[in-house]
Amino acid sequence: MERLILAVIALPLMTALLTHLLANRLGRNVARISITGLTATFVVAAVLLWHAISKPGTHEIILGQTWGHLLYDPLSAVMGLLVSGISLIVHLYSRRYMAEEAGYARFFILLGLMTANLLILVAAGDLITLMIAWHLIGVLLYLLLGQDTRSPSAYRFGFWTLFTHRIGDLPLVLAAVLLFNAYGTWSLSEIFQALSTDSSAKTYLGMSLPDLTAGLVALSAFIRSAQFFAHTWLPYTMSGPTLVSALMHAGIVNSGGFLINRFAPLFVESGDVLHAVFVVGLVTAIIGSVLMLTQHDVKKALGYSTMGQMGFMIMECGVGAFSLAVYHLIAHDLFKGTLFLSAGGIIGEARKDDGVPKEDLYTFVVERKPARQRRPWLLMAAITLAVPGIILFLAHYLVEQAFFEKQGAVVLLFFGWITGAQLIFATHRMRTENLTRLFTLILVSFTVVVLGYTLIAHAFDLFLYPDPAFRARIYEAAGIDLIFFDLLVVLVTGVIVLGWLFTYYAEQQRLTERSWYHELRRRFYRAISRELYVSDAYAWLSRQLIAGANRVNTIMRWH
Amino acid sequence: MSLTLYLIAGLFLPLFPLSMLFNQMFARLRHPWLRVLLLLAWPQIGVLLLSQAAAPVPDWFAGWALLSAAFYAYRAIALREVGLWIGYIATSAWALLWIGVVEPGLHHLLALGFSLPLAFTALLTGFLEQRLGAAHTALGGGMAIAAPRFAGLFVVAVLAAVATPLFPNFFSLLATLLSPASLSPLFGLGLMLIWLLWTWSGIRLLQGIVVGSPVRNGLQDLSMTATWVYSAGFVGLLLIGINMGGVLL
Repeated sequence: MERLILAVIALPLMTALLTHLLANRLGRNVARISITGLTATFVVAAVLLWHAISKPGTHEIILGQTWGHLLYDPLSAVMGLLVSGISLIVHLYSRRYMAEEAGYARFFILLGLMTANLLILVAAGDLITLMIAWHLIGVLLYLLLGQDTRSPSAYRFGFWTLFTHRIGDLPLVLAAVLLFNAYGTWSLSEIFQALSTDSSAKTYLGMSLPDLTAGLVALSAFIRSAQFFAHTWLPYTMSGPTLVSALMHAGIVNSGGFLINRFAPLFVESGDVLHAVFVVGLVTAIIGSVLMLTQHDVKKALGYSTMGQMGFMIMECGVGAFSLAVYHLIAHDLFKGTLFLSAGGIIGEARKDDGVPKEDLYTFVVERKPARQRRPWLLMAAITLAVPGIILFLAHYLVEQAFFEKQGAVVLLFFGWITGAQLIFATHRMRTENLTRLFTLILVSFTVVVLGYTLIAHAFDLFLYPDPAFRARIYEAAGIDLIFFDLLVVLVTGVIVLGWLFTYYAEQQRLTERSWYHELRRRFYRAISRELYVSDAYAWLSRQLIAGANRVNTIMRWH
Repeated sequence: MSLTLYLIAGLFLPLFPLSMLFNQMFARLRHPWLRVLLLLAWPQIGVLLLSQAAAPVPDWFAGWALLSAAFYAYRAIALREVGLWIGYIATSAWALLWIGVVEPGLHHLLALGFSLPLAFTALLTGFLEQRLGAAHTALGGGMAIAAPRFAGLFVVAVLAAVATPLFPNFFSLLATLLSPASLSPLFGLGLMLIWLLWTWSGIRLLQGIVVGSPVRNGLQDLSMTATWVYSAGFVGLLLIGINMGGVLL
């Protein structure tokens, strides 16, 4: 049964080959080959996941002596189904969406190759196979983004994507070489086995080898998952087909979370790296969300939303909630894929009706509708603070009582509380005809989401990491000194609560109408609308480097 | 005596400024097959010379080689002419053979791994030079529309030349990274930077040749037979790469 994983990888490869060979003969019907192949891939992947659930365990399939090992374990089974599922949706959608485009067959060939490559990545059982698949994602994505060969801008941003991905490949290669030199094997299971027995024995230049290699793997994951400073490629790749954006935002960008999970046995030996992972994720989540809020373009806003979500996913890894990150990436895959695939329709509808709420006076006098209202701010502030906290507390209490003993869980709980509170705060700012109904709907959906999230995340934890000792070690590695942790929680809570109170107060006192506030806001907005000048800095640097190379070549007379 | 031998080897496994000889020669050769021959034979002479030396290669040669490789990789990012670019990438790649000095048999294989994809690219470039007079981005834009079969193969050729995985030079590069010298952080990071610069230069070249509206209309594409022959060649290159992965790593 385990060897079926070979079929999962081979099927999309074969469909890509058949599509290439039969493209001229079948014309647009060639898409049927890809869709049939991907449907079969999805079915086999589903069977494999069912088998992994019913008979948990890890099996290694060895195709080559040095490399070419495949792992069949809960992680590869879950990810295999996800990759084949998302890819199947994209294939189905592409059949008509791309019908008028040139290079129809080429698009399906590349989709097939990308699917096969992603499936190899999630099942890679040795460092070389993993590196190859990791590297080829960037190359295939570049070719997919450049579907329209007439468009230099599509290729320009495709190049940007490829270049960033290539930067992200390098730390993984360095980590792989260091691990090979230390343990004399490329096999992941052998390396993890060796790590668990003598993690502290190996050093490199005076540094602990697990810390160094985990840091490099994390760096690779950061760059692939568009963390701050390596995020600029993500929102700018919208010149490619929408379907590629969907595939990229719903699948490829999540590979950072997968990589950290794959290297979980390495990360449990390097708590300091996990703390750094948390900080990077946190910064990215905040900056991504802020940048998203200032976008006017729907697809670009979705791009920055992905950045924020990736930050949150990486942050989850940083607090030791590895399996939660996998659940997050699956959930993100599904909702972001849906958003991208429906973005075109929404843009079309917006051309007919902008959907912007009209002024109160207009709706009251012209449309003869009752004036929309707000609830008193003090009541809303009290609800903002209390309700999400109670829901989150109850959800976790019902699912796993020991949850509060883990620092990572408390941090996530804290973020859940902030998110819920922000949602309620947003309803206070909204003007609606029936505020009670809107508020009730939000509250009910929040409860359902939190309960589902907690329950499913707990099930994921048991499935992906069945060993309770290992689960405890992950949280332990991510933990920090208890007093420092408590102080930090109190401090951050204080800052956030004060921020909310100030916002309510500012609205009441009409501080927003004062000139100093306007000036501050204008400067902040300018910086954010230029995306904190990160892209500008990169573009300037690359221009300087090319100009410098040109000067050197001229001096050297091109020899 | 050994030092003289090393310096002569520095012409064939090019170390700057000795590398200028190879680049001048390569630029003057116009016939694709002669270029292929030069790309395949030149580094093999260097490896042969190294194997004849009595004393081990002094450490400072490895530093010199790394700087030479980085220098040519950096210069390649500004290039617009495919022939020159192949010469620079070859110079950059062969210089790395000073770092990954292994037993003579494997060293020849390592050199072949670096040369083969470049030889294929040189052969394919002959098509552009034959049709347009030069393989320059200013003359050959929009090839994806003007000559789609050639464009597809050219994309694969350039990706192969910049050591994309599964092609032989990827495994040569990885084997170089595993050499004892590369364990120093300076060498490891240097090699990675060089690899990154190869990609940058290659993609810039691709965008100049393949993307956009065609500069010239009515260009005759590669024949179907030639396309199949080149495709078979690339498949062969992949198989050689996979096999090399087993031998070198």
